[in-house]
Amino acid sequence: MSDCQGLGDCDDARMQRIYEYLDGALTREDITEIKTHLDECPECTEEYDLECVIRTMVKRSCTEAAPENLKNAILDRIHAIRPVDA
Amino acid sequence: MRLLKDGTEPAGPVALQTLESNPPEYGTPRAKAVTVDLNAMSTLDPALEAMYKASEREAKTSSEANASSDAPAGSDSQPADAQPAGDVPLPAEPAPAEQPVDVATESAEERRVRFERDAMQYVDQLYSAAMRMARNPADAEDLVQEAYTKAFSAFHQYKPGTNLKAWLYRILTNTYINLYRKRQREPLQSNSDTIEDWQLARAESHTSRGLRSAEAEALDHLPDSDVKRALQAIPEEFRLAVYFADVEGFAYREISDIMNTPIGTVMSRLHRGRKMLRDMLADYAAERGFKGAVESQDTAANTQQENRK
Repeated sequence: MSDCQGLGDCDDARMQRIYEYLDGALTREDITEIKTHLDECPECTEEYDLECVIRTMVKRSCTEAAPENLKNAILDRIHAIRPVDA
Repeated sequence: MRLLKDGTEPAGPVALQTLESNPPEYGTPRAKAVTVDLNAMSTLDPALEAMYKASEREAKTSSEANASSDAPAGSDSQPADAQPAGDVPLPAEPAPAEQPVDVATESAEERRVRFERDAMQYVDQLYSAAMRMARNPADAEDLVQEAYTKAFSAFHQYKPGTNLKAWLYRILTNTYINLYRKRQREPLQSNSDTIEDWQLARAESHTSRGLRSAEAEALDHLPDSDVKRALQAIPEEFRLAVYFADVEGFAYREISDIMNTPIGTVMSRLHRGRKMLRDMLADYAAERGFKGAVESQDTAANTQQENRK
């Protein structure tokens, strides 16, 4: 990838930081630090953007509507269950 | 994950276990000593914050009593049984449709109405997830039906105000493991399981910063079928972790609850899963001859290609 060590001293460390950033798993301070770095480092920004693109693709591709009858089938089954007060 | 940089104690850390009035009955190997620094959370809903504050006061008085009962993380690998039970201790997402309810005085009929109102809205989402598990529409439908039936039967155990969607996902995942996946369930352990401290915050925006590489452009041209194919090709525990994080946006701790694995395992699965996915997508883009994919894909993908020849 690149020699930039702004987000970590190896590619794995850098990607881990980018994942955590995208996953919302960092402190506010960490976020500020990463943003500042991304602002000035095209290489890390490229990695970041690539991850954004992949995430968007995955989300787009995997959003499927359930078949029409599924909801009714579930409701039928639920109604067939004899309710028990816990 | 990381202590605050200046070495100060995060103000008012809340040990999550102590927020629970009852210890979760299910999912023993929980990451221990997880703390959330409320002050570091940038987008905490004010209502949730008030709830946290209240629980915090309560937790402080009871934390000593609870401390000894915490199960050590990774001390056993109790398999998930068919019981979809347990309060899911997930306060993260305010459930939009839920209204206050007194479970104790609720009639069975009222509970059914509440279930239909609050839980049935997630059918499409659970079906999408089931498709990543069962791989074909008929099995995915069965799986979702089965999960909903179990969820309904156990709905009195769901604690209103906690994360209903994550609770349903956990039942779906258990149903899948118990019904559709015959092989032994072995919780993966990883080197990063020792994480003891982490804080959460949300980055404001995940939008592209406008510097899209040729590789990003190439991947973006791949059809949905390629993305699904790539996802299906990576091992299940990685695939599901990536799905829960990227499609559903669940936090690490939520995924850890859904998949019944420590947070460290979730993070390493995500890391490896994403890497596999990325390499595979780069491969597909190269196969389709999209410009950019070949020149700039990273070394791992290149190696993979070399191996194929």
